[in-house]
Amino acid sequence: MGARTSGIRQIGGAPGPRGGWAARKPLVLAAAVVVLALLPLYASDYGISVGILIFLYMSLGQMWNLLAGYSGLVSLGQQAFVGIGGYTLAMVTQAYHMSIALSFFIAAGVSLAFALVISFPIFKMSGVYFTVGTWIVSEALLVFFRNWAFVKYDAGYNITVAYRISMPALYLGALAVGLGATALVYFILRSRMGLALMAIRDDESAAEARGVRLYRTKLACFLISSVYTGITGVVLYLNITYVKPGAAFGIDWTVCMVFIVVIGGLGTIEGPVIGAVIYVILRQYTYNFPGISMIMLGVAAVAIIMLAPEGIMGAVHGRFGFRLFSTERRPPPGTGPRQYPEDAADV
Amino acid sequence: MSVENLAISFGSNQVLKSVNLELHAGETLGVIGPNGAGKTVMLNIMTGILKPDGGRLVFLGRDILKEGVVERVRMGLGRTFQIPRSFRNMTAYENSLVGAVFGSGLTERAAGARARDILDMIGLSGKKLEPAGKLGLLDRKRLEIGVALATGPRALLLDEAAGGLTESEVAEILGIVRKVKESGVGVIWIEHVLQTMLHGTDRVMLLAEGRDVICGRPRDVMSSREVEEAYLGAGVGARTRRKRA
Ligand SMILES: Nc1ncnc2c1ncn2[C@@H]1O[C@H](COP(=O)(O)OP(=O)(O)OP(=O)(O)O)[C@@H](O)[C@H]1O
Ligand SMILES: [Mg+2]
Repeated sequence: MGARTSGIRQIGGAPGPRGGWAARKPLVLAAAVVVLALLPLYASDYGISVGILIFLYMSLGQMWNLLAGYSGLVSLGQQAFVGIGGYTLAMVTQAYHMSIALSFFIAAGVSLAFALVISFPIFKMSGVYFTVGTWIVSEALLVFFRNWAFVKYDAGYNITVAYRISMPALYLGALAVGLGATALVYFILRSRMGLALMAIRDDESAAEARGVRLYRTKLACFLISSVYTGITGVVLYLNITYVKPGAAFGIDWTVCMVFIVVIGGLGTIEGPVIGAVIYVILRQYTYNFPGISMIMLGVAAVAIIMLAPEGIMGAVHGRFGFRLFSTERRPPPGTGPRQYPEDAADV
Repeated sequence: MSVENLAISFGSNQVLKSVNLELHAGETLGVIGPNGAGKTVMLNIMTGILKPDGGRLVFLGRDILKEGVVERVRMGLGRTFQIPRSFRNMTAYENSLVGAVFGSGLTERAAGARARDILDMIGLSGKKLEPAGKLGLLDRKRLEIGVALATGPRALLLDEAAGGLTESEVAEILGIVRKVKESGVGVIWIEHVLQTMLHGTDRVMLLAEGRDVICGRPRDVMSSREVEEAYLGAGVGARTRRKRA
């Protein structure tokens, strides 16, 4: 990555002409996307399958980060939406023999409706009560699915349509979902709502005292995050091909989201990207040690947190001032003293 | 703006019994009182963070005690916090932008110019791209006022805007407040440091024992028996308190 000068300039803020990196960034990113999209041409099947996981977990991480990292909503219930995505795919394609494409729309709709309904009770709670509330709601959903005849109770479904999807196609789907999540978060943060979110991230009640509407902003985030997690769930289950309540609505999903975001860097766009890469690779590796794989992941998380309390991206930013996706606002040019010599000097 | 019979208690702790005050446009009203007198509580009631047990708060001709925090900001009630509450990962400019965008409902583009001009006015334009978390105390105090100003207040409530600063730094804050006042904004300025109040305000009010004990010309109030009693009664001399870091 452009370890060159770049970031330091960015933060020190010499305004004026945008430096080489800033101008070239869109090109570099576009090239990176092309290289990633062509991966099926040069990678092994194993490589492709790891790629699929990385992008899907990236999406989960981005969406959890949107909640916990920016709007202060620490949810332990996002697995509900993974499960909704998985079950929607199963019901639409297996029970009703309709298209996969339709599953995405229905999963989005059901996720939106479910998120909206549970928002009324859980948004009355704050802090740790919100966290526990989301968890209880998702556990309740798990119990409900186990006892719901419509979804064949605990038996689950084989998602047979998924067998017909080739690895490269699935990879491209995962890539779209993962990069789409990253782009979505980026555009949200560049928007007016993003300005509110960054203020909320830093100090919620101060943000309110400046006129930020907390409830509205957080609810919007919760709905976006939940819908996108539901959509990600569809692709996840195209990959897993078998859905059962215990796994689909298991808290494990959210545990990985937390892991990814915390080691990558809470409240940064790059964090979930790096976190997902590390998480998936670590997990592939720890498969070789059944039984203690969770312990190894835990130890890795603790080690990273001790070395970099604000996650890897937090540490990188703290040391080099580097941001791949800068959401920083620039003042409009205008009157008044603008460039001071110390601008450049005191970085 | 006027406050009538404001009262609040926390359990058995009756912090405000009956507070009355009036603020005119373009006027600076100092509020002094010993530690724990309820100065910050009064301000929190005014801005909607706390609900009073009784009383009235009339702003722009309307009792606004039922309005929420955000509505009051948008009506033009700006404030600073005693301990600066800047958004530490955002730059000074972005901090100011948050106030300008959400405090007034401007678009980001329109708000940008205001946010920039305010940084010029508070003397922070040289550091506008620094993260607020890296600023020193004086700059954070300045920014705190700047962000409040960015919301476009008709009345500005300052909670110890000069607390903890050296004499020359206090002078900087005084200069900023004077400019604010000259632009027609009414200012309520809470402060421990009595000296600041002598120079920076038009009137001073003493808040003690849950009441507005006296209110008048700064010099008269400072030398009054009531102030002496309130501060000595609290067990600490007003002068020693200036040494707080
Ligand atoms: N939210 C609250 N809940 C319960 N008690 C509170 C609350 N806020 C303030 N108090 C109490 O109200 C009293 C007044 O506090 P306040 O912070 O208003 O004092 P102050 O005049 O601002 O003092 P200082 O000069 O130290 O800032 C204190 O006894 C405090 O403990
Ligand atoms: Mg106080």
